[in-house]
Amino acid sequence: MNTPSPSAKKPAKTGGTRKAPVKRPSVKAVAKPVSVLIIGAGFAGLGMAIQLQQAGIRDIVILERADAVGGTWRDNRYPGAACDIPSNLYSYSFAQNPNWSRSFSGSGEILDYIHYLVSHFNLAPYIRFKQNVTGLNFDENAGLWHASIEGGDTVRARAVVMAQGPLSNAIFPDIAGLEKYKGHTIHSARWDHDYDFSNKRVAVIGTGASAVQIIPELVKQAGFVKVFQRTPGWVLPRPDFETPEWNKALFRKFPGTQDALRKALYVTHESMALAVIWNSPLTRIAERIGRLHLRRQVKDRWLRRQLTPDFRIGCKRVLLSNDYYPALQQPNCKLVTWPIDRLSEQGIRTAEGIEHQFDCIVFATGFDVCKTGTPFPITGLGGRALHDEWARGAQAYKSINVAGYPNLFLTFGPNSGPGHNSALVYMESQLDYAVRGIQKILDEDLKMLDVKADAQAAHNKAIQARLANTNWNSGCKSWYLTEDGHNVTMYPGFATQYALQMRTLDEADYRRTPMAGG
Amino acid sequence: MASIDLDKMLVKIKSSQWALADIDWDAPGADLITDEQWPKLKAFMADLMWIEHVGARAFAAMAKKAPTETLREIYTYFHAEEQRHANAEMALMKRWGMLDGDEIPEPNINLRLVIEWLDRYADEMPVYVLGTVVPMLEVALDGALCSFLLETVDDPVCHAAFQKINDDESRHLGVGFTVMEMQGRSKTFIQLTQMVAPLLDPRLILGIASYFPLLNKMRDNIMEMGLPEEKLYNAMRKFEKIGGRTADGRRNPWFQIISRHGRFVINRNNRFYHAPVDALVKVTQYIPRRALPAVPSWVKELTYRPAA
Repeated sequence: MNTPSPSAKKPAKTGGTRKAPVKRPSVKAVAKPVSVLIIGAGFAGLGMAIQLQQAGIRDIVILERADAVGGTWRDNRYPGAACDIPSNLYSYSFAQNPNWSRSFSGSGEILDYIHYLVSHFNLAPYIRFKQNVTGLNFDENAGLWHASIEGGDTVRARAVVMAQGPLSNAIFPDIAGLEKYKGHTIHSARWDHDYDFSNKRVAVIGTGASAVQIIPELVKQAGFVKVFQRTPGWVLPRPDFETPEWNKALFRKFPGTQDALRKALYVTHESMALAVIWNSPLTRIAERIGRLHLRRQVKDRWLRRQLTPDFRIGCKRVLLSNDYYPALQQPNCKLVTWPIDRLSEQGIRTAEGIEHQFDCIVFATGFDVCKTGTPFPITGLGGRALHDEWARGAQAYKSINVAGYPNLFLTFGPNSGPGHNSALVYMESQLDYAVRGIQKILDEDLKMLDVKADAQAAHNKAIQARLANTNWNSGCKSWYLTEDGHNVTMYPGFATQYALQMRTLDEADYRRTPMAGG
Repeated sequence: MASIDLDKMLVKIKSSQWALADIDWDAPGADLITDEQWPKLKAFMADLMWIEHVGARAFAAMAKKAPTETLREIYTYFHAEEQRHANAEMALMKRWGMLDGDEIPEPNINLRLVIEWLDRYADEMPVYVLGTVVPMLEVALDGALCSFLLETVDDPVCHAAFQKINDDESRHLGVGFTVMEMQGRSKTFIQLTQMVAPLLDPRLILGIASYFPLLNKMRDNIMEMGLPEEKLYNAMRKFEKIGGRTADGRRNPWFQIISRHGRFVINRNNRFYHAPVDALVKVTQYIPRRALPAVPSWVKELTYRPAA
């Protein structure tokens, strides 16, 4: 694997005149409040720190619950883990990497890129590892957030950025008898690298984005693999190629060429919104490509039927794979579509009355995306609890602020999810917006910058009206929706529209309370 | 039988699952099968097992076309449950020494034709067509065959297995008749006429051409095994009685078609119906098996083993 040596371009930022020295802020309760607390040291948290730093804000603490940076890419190290968006687009525009080894890089290479960000932008001094935040409370008299940390410490901060990541809490499926199974279990997001799969009988539960990457690798290693599928997803071909050396050299020598490729990829992905987000003639074409891919790779009619999705493409996450269908047809692999009844001591009982016995069960069952709550209690003005307010579905203003929780900025907040483009493109818009908000708080010495409830309500009314016409809300069950079918995760539009939405911080939509006499 | 709440039924179905491993297939009693019974029972069980399996495939097709998410899930379970019945019946055959090694018993030619039709066309059929034919098959064939079996076989393991199977089947029939009524409810004359339109579909005509001789062939097989013909006819009358208990049920044109056809089947004097269908039965026996394509891979999912 190549060690990335990306060509970092320092974005020109204005307005940040603060010259705070980079020092290790203490995490003791008695310590002076910091300007910005960032929770999480994944792509979002580190990107936030870089952007704040570029804006001249260096009084930052990043609290990370694990002992390493990387977030999703640190946790998801299962065999075959890779990104579904081309690496030249799944990276920050202000820190491009000319050395990506493939068009869709693996998790190890992405993690290397994240480590590169830390070292190149000198972020290490900000980061505190093994600091698990257990609660956030806003002190409205002082205009400070108090972050409680497991073990008793507290960090106080003028502003907080939630960068804990939407895909950070692995979940196990709601299957009866889960505790009864006595064999080995592995969750895709907590891979057991010491487990030897050779000659083992392995079950994989789930056929989503992680599973289609894991299964081809497991089939190569294990004795026999049974894949338990509830709903087949749309699988499209993955145009994954090795990057020739001349290409890397070109990008290194003429960074403009990489910029041009990134822009071309961006526009291509934007056009995919027409197929994936809304029901259009392009949707039919995308579905036809999916069916052709299936027909070309699977000859058996019954297996093809089992793998044919019965929902509109885009309603659930679109999968990209060239080797998933061939892996399912290997002699040591079998697709099981019978409903799972329960887990027994030795395996999985399905409704056709058979107990499928295994040495190991791999749960590729995804994450708890916190659609109706918060990862830890967050208490805002007047003791209001965000968990309660979001009990029927999360909502925010422009995905980033929530009324009643001043000086709090969300990354990957409600209705910020892309279905067709790089999450990092959306992320950059959020980071820019948060920098503007935080600059305002610090420069104008605001005690509170709180979005108005009516502005938030108007924003959400418009978003929900637009979501009603999208493929995500066309009737399938997916992790994008709450139990009662409310879409709180996805942004119903182009990435360009989202960027426009985030380009201005409209002061009229905020209540500003100055520190003095506030 | 009153119309049922399908959401509650789905919960009930999920909580009523059982597995082959719940039955002790080696328990005493296998020797209660007499030498006289054995060869007839072997043929009988093979037919029964295949009917369950064919029913399973029909439910799979219905799941694809189900009008609601709840019904889709119910039919997905019914697909699996019919497969479970076929598996359990194979396990009984194994217990009674009726399986040749791991071989799946050979289906008769009429079943084979129905399997072929289901594989090719079932997914294209509107849900109300299979939604009426399947309850008919379940009442007539499954119901009559199971009760006959329990009257003639003393093996307690067989009774234990069929108690579970019959519990499942009663839920299948409850849902089947409820859906038939739903299909007849609040429909205009035009909508009802449109429901009959698939009769002109050549794919359905092919289906009918395999379904009619299957019924007559099964009737002949059952008679040969000693089941009184009247038992089968009573079961068919039961379909007409339950399906026609409400105005909605009676308004469903497919109920009318299938129940009227049932009357033809049970009226031996109806030469206008039986002469050509019996001739079809005879003709189909001459179809060389080599002429048929390989059995679809869903057939290979059958197993008598409780653990895999």
